Amino acid sequence: MSKFKLANILAYGFVTLFSIYVMMPIVVMVLTTFKTRREIFLKPLSLPGQYNFISFEKAFGIGLGGFMFNSFIVTLFSVTLIVIISGMAAYVLARIDFKINKFVYLLIVAGFAIPPAAVLVPLYTTVSNLGLLNSIFGIVLPLTAFGIPFTVILFFAFFLDFPREVEEAATIDGCSKLQIFFRIIIPLSGPAIASAAIFQTVWIWNEFLLALIMLNLDNVKTLPIGLIKLRGEWTSDWPAIMAGLTIAIIPVLIVFLLFQKYFVRSLAGLGK
Amino acid sequence: MDKKSSHSNSFSLSNDRFSVIFLIVPALIFCTVFIFIPAFWVIIGSFYSFGLTSLNDWEWVGLGNYVKAAQDEFFWIALKNNFIIVFASIVLQVGVGTILAAILDRGIPYGKVIFRTIIFTPMVISSVAVSLIWLIIYDPNVGILNAIIKSIGLSPPMRGWLGDPNISIWMVMIVAGWQYTGFMMVLILAGLQGISKEVYDAAEIDGATGVSAFWYITLPMIRNILIIAILITTIGAFKVFEFIYILTQGGPSNATQVLGTYIFLQAFNLLHMGYANALSVVLLIIALILGWLQVQASRRA
Repeated sequence: MSKFKLANILAYGFVTLFSIYVMMPIVVMVLTTFKTRREIFLKPLSLPGQYNFISFEKAFGIGLGGFMFNSFIVTLFSVTLIVIISGMAAYVLARIDFKINKFVYLLIVAGFAIPPAAVLVPLYTTVSNLGLLNSIFGIVLPLTAFGIPFTVILFFAFFLDFPREVEEAATIDGCSKLQIFFRIIIPLSGPAIASAAIFQTVWIWNEFLLALIMLNLDNVKTLPIGLIKLRGEWTSDWPAIMAGLTIAIIPVLIVFLLFQKYFVRSLAGLGK
Repeated sequence: MDKKSSHSNSFSLSNDRFSVIFLIVPALIFCTVFIFIPAFWVIIGSFYSFGLTSLNDWEWVGLGNYVKAAQDEFFWIALKNNFIIVFASIVLQVGVGTILAAILDRGIPYGKVIFRTIIFTPMVISSVAVSLIWLIIYDPNVGILNAIIKSIGLSPPMRGWLGDPNISIWMVMIVAGWQYTGFMMVLILAGLQGISKEVYDAAEIDGATGVSAFWYITLPMIRNILIIAILITTIGAFKVFEFIYILTQGGPSNATQVLGTYIFLQAFNLLHMGYANALSVVLLIIALILGWLQVQASRRA
């Protein structure tokens, strides 16, 4: 390794400063959790006087545990549906000569481009007409629909690079496309499934706009809109609000640190 | 899509039509019911006037909603803000993201994974939580930003960081940059790592090292990834909602309104469903154009 040069020092200086900018708000959040309301008002820059869990109790007191459970259920159902349905569709697009494939692919890409905000009113009406407002499926079904296009595109690219020999052998042995997909393709698609599932988990766990219009009752609210309720209940009780945020963020951070290789891979895949 | 045709014989459809239909139909049903039919109705509904509770009571107004939008000062402010956010996001997120990626790729010998992990972390936190954290940082009474500014002898803005219409949109950009710069860095870093060492060795022989190598060799080689990064950022900038909804509620006096929050305001606070649809059509057209551009860019990459 060559000796440290001025350029190296500048480079380290820049990434270090940027890292401080990134970490500062997270540190503020955690420290505020332990401060008293008096402390944050009088000494915003100092450390907490003592460490206790009163703020966490307040945050759980307005039902944060329930919101987390709802988020967990919504994410589990949506991500499972997205991965299976998108994988199936992408397999047909990538592997089977089907007259309407090109048209379907164009539709999928168009679906990828359309954000929920661009169809907000009819989407609300649709869910309302299905009788699904304020139910878990009132959010799971539209989130699944909006997750499918990107995931199809991701799987499509993966299946194109997939070796065909195994499938051809299976076809000769008399397997149907359905059997091939579920018995051969799915078990061999681990990395693509992991990337897709992680990407969608982060998006759905954090989704706000659709949850905001579809879920108005506390017993179905997900975490992001639960945090808004937390803010409403504890208007200026910042320690309680920050405790809620800390509880909400820590599980995602742990998952991220454990699987960060997959996170980076699935997001970097967007560029391809 | 073309690669498959050469192998098509062993995968002919006729004997297995049921499987194929079973595999593809669920995705089509989901997208049709929750994306395409709503997109159709958003266009139809934009020619009517109706409220949330009077769904069977549509009144035809022709282009009335679009005329209203053209004369609505706040619609233009919202659209302008979306363009400001596009521009600022490209400079902050893609620009700084590129510099960070270049540093992590070749600028520092140790600590790449740690820095990458730290800088990427905000991407996995919900924008709601991010906005609430920054709300306390910007708070005029208890925020640390005011405390820091005061401690170095300057005075913070009178109306608060988010209460001053001249700076509030930029304060929102600092939050957006905080969350998404690491994402751009990782995206661009993936492109940089695809450049082989030989290219740099050759450049070094020709006398290009450090910054000049970056400018003349690296940037042109990751051109396509930069285009895609800019498009992703642009698309994200038109979708922005949470930051505005939580940090400023579109205020002060609508100065930070964006299309997403303005559509929400018209639809669910003022119950002008038809007008909200017309605004949505504008967003829909922009989104489809950007999506089409992204497909073109990906194809070239």
